[in-house]
Amino acid sequence: MNNLYIKLTTRWRRWRTMRTNWPQLVRLALPVLLLGGLFVYAVWPWLPGVRGAKVRTVVLYGFSILGEMMNDAVFPAFQAEWEARTGERVEFISAFSASGTVTNQMILGVPAEVAILSLELDALRLVNAGVLPAPTWRDLPHGGVVNRTPFIILVRPDNPQAIGDFADLTRNGVGVVHPDPLTSGGAQWALLSEYHSVRMLGGSDDEAFAQLLGVWKNVVAQAASARAVRTQFESGFGDALITYEQEVLSDRWRGRLRGEIVYPQSTIFSEHIVVVLDRNIAPAQHDLVDAFVAFLWSETAQRIYVDYGFRSVDEALNAANPDFGVIPYPFTVSDLGGWEQAKPYIVDGIWRDQVLPLLGTGGAP
Amino acid sequence: MNVTAKSKTTVLPPLLLILTLLPLLLMPLGAIFVFAGRAGLPGLIHTLSQPDAQFALRFSLLIAFGTAVVNGVLGTFAAYVLSKYRFRGRETLNVIVNLPVAIPTVVVGTSLLLLWGPIGLLGQFLDPLGIQPMFAPAGVLLAHLFVTFPYMLGAVKPVLDELETTYEEAAYTIGANRWQTFRYVILPALCGGLFSGLLLTFAHSLGEFGATVMVSGNLRLRTQTAPLYIFAQFEAGNIETANAVAAVLALTSFVIFMLLQRVTQQRNRRAS
Repeated sequence: MNNLYIKLTTRWRRWRTMRTNWPQLVRLALPVLLLGGLFVYAVWPWLPGVRGAKVRTVVLYGFSILGEMMNDAVFPAFQAEWEARTGERVEFISAFSASGTVTNQMILGVPAEVAILSLELDALRLVNAGVLPAPTWRDLPHGGVVNRTPFIILVRPDNPQAIGDFADLTRNGVGVVHPDPLTSGGAQWALLSEYHSVRMLGGSDDEAFAQLLGVWKNVVAQAASARAVRTQFESGFGDALITYEQEVLSDRWRGRLRGEIVYPQSTIFSEHIVVVLDRNIAPAQHDLVDAFVAFLWSETAQRIYVDYGFRSVDEALNAANPDFGVIPYPFTVSDLGGWEQAKPYIVDGIWRDQVLPLLGTGGAP
Repeated sequence: MNVTAKSKTTVLPPLLLILTLLPLLLMPLGAIFVFAGRAGLPGLIHTLSQPDAQFALRFSLLIAFGTAVVNGVLGTFAAYVLSKYRFRGRETLNVIVNLPVAIPTVVVGTSLLLLWGPIGLLGQFLDPLGIQPMFAPAGVLLAHLFVTFPYMLGAVKPVLDELETTYEEAAYTIGANRWQTFRYVILPALCGGLFSGLLLTFAHSLGEFGATVMVSGNLRLRTQTAPLYIFAQFEAGNIETANAVAAVLALTSFVIFMLLQRVTQQRNRRAS
């Protein structure tokens, strides 16, 4: 102890008598201060005392175009409602990427409690992989469908090719940009639309096949996802793009849309599925997760979807958005017997096995 | 050193260098800042003060600090053993520890998932115990340790290889034990290498994407690092937001590199 005292005092005296080299000191201290400051900044929220009261969390995975709407509107609305009801604060831990990617992540074991997928096929993959014991989403309201959006045609400004419907996409000289059905969920919806819309308007199976083939003969560019194919279209490829109405509307509201929407006489409504992963939900979490899932079908949430360009499952609410176009003969995948039928019959049986071979190497890349 | 005249100010070679670097390096870097600044300063501040952007930056910095510390120690240890000891399989081990540079980071992420993930080789035994390193900060750290391991080694090992054993032997003869030898003889010589190794590790960790995207689960406010945040924002079409965070990362790296470069230069000047 005494020893230490002597040591410290001598050190202090030496320090005091030393001529301080200020520039040197500053130059040495600056990086230390900077790194130290950076470190303090980084750990700040985790320091004891700084951290706020413990909050409950919900872990949600969703497909990409949902991100903005969920973060900006749906989550805050539920947080307010839950706090008003129980006094508890809820925080959302969320991740948004392509529906197929989200599905793969869940198969690999990410701790998702709730997921929203862009097509039921992905949900069915979860059942096959054993992540879900059965198609449990079908017990939810509307068979698990939380909102919809129709597939439309986006054309260049002033529609120079005078495209009015899918049939016009089969004309010679029209270039179509299409997402790749091997990877993109949106492309699968588009295929059903290109084929079945003919039959909805009274055409035969042969005429439907001819339209699907005609569109695909005109495909000039493909990309892995609906998002990527948009980028291709915007960078000048092709005359027409088949995509989600919601995406185009949200671009229009942000003032970023360069092109026009063409509403087909008949087209499919994509249906987005809510999946609840019971195996990732702790028993004490059930009240919160169940309340949130129920909230997704509440009028509040459904109105938010309409505001953001999705169509509500409650048809009456859709009148609130004047930008929604009119589609005289809409259909859904259930008109085709659900994805369990439509995937093997149309996507695999017709498109992959009959259309693709006819294109040879001259058509789609 | 003082005898030679101050290097005369040449114009042509630097100008040539800058011209070549312009399209390769400088203009792309500039584009980040142009797009980040599109919404003006208030917009930039607003973007950066979002909780998820703040979290992503903090989380990235913490992981980078953690990675630098752990790999700083591990890498130095590995370099010491590989440089000072002769044993069978040394050459092979030397090649193996440098492999992470060549393996695509996505593959690193996948293999970590297949090892530690809930359905992985080891993970399936850990999962019932409630231990889940993947899709958690621990998983991100594991991925970064793997990916950045060779940087520390690469910076330290050459210095150790150069360091003559006579210094160490001299230390032993005057009664220094192994630790003292390391602390007072080897460590001071290593300073420069350690610095640049830590720096490279830190910077690399700050920008790591491929492995992180696989193992983190990309959860906002929980495991989303800054590069993942940038990618998510880019995918969602928020180019300004993405570039705002990218600009902060670039600026942080720049300042750290600048300052540490000055420090190492001073050390070298004093040493010589």
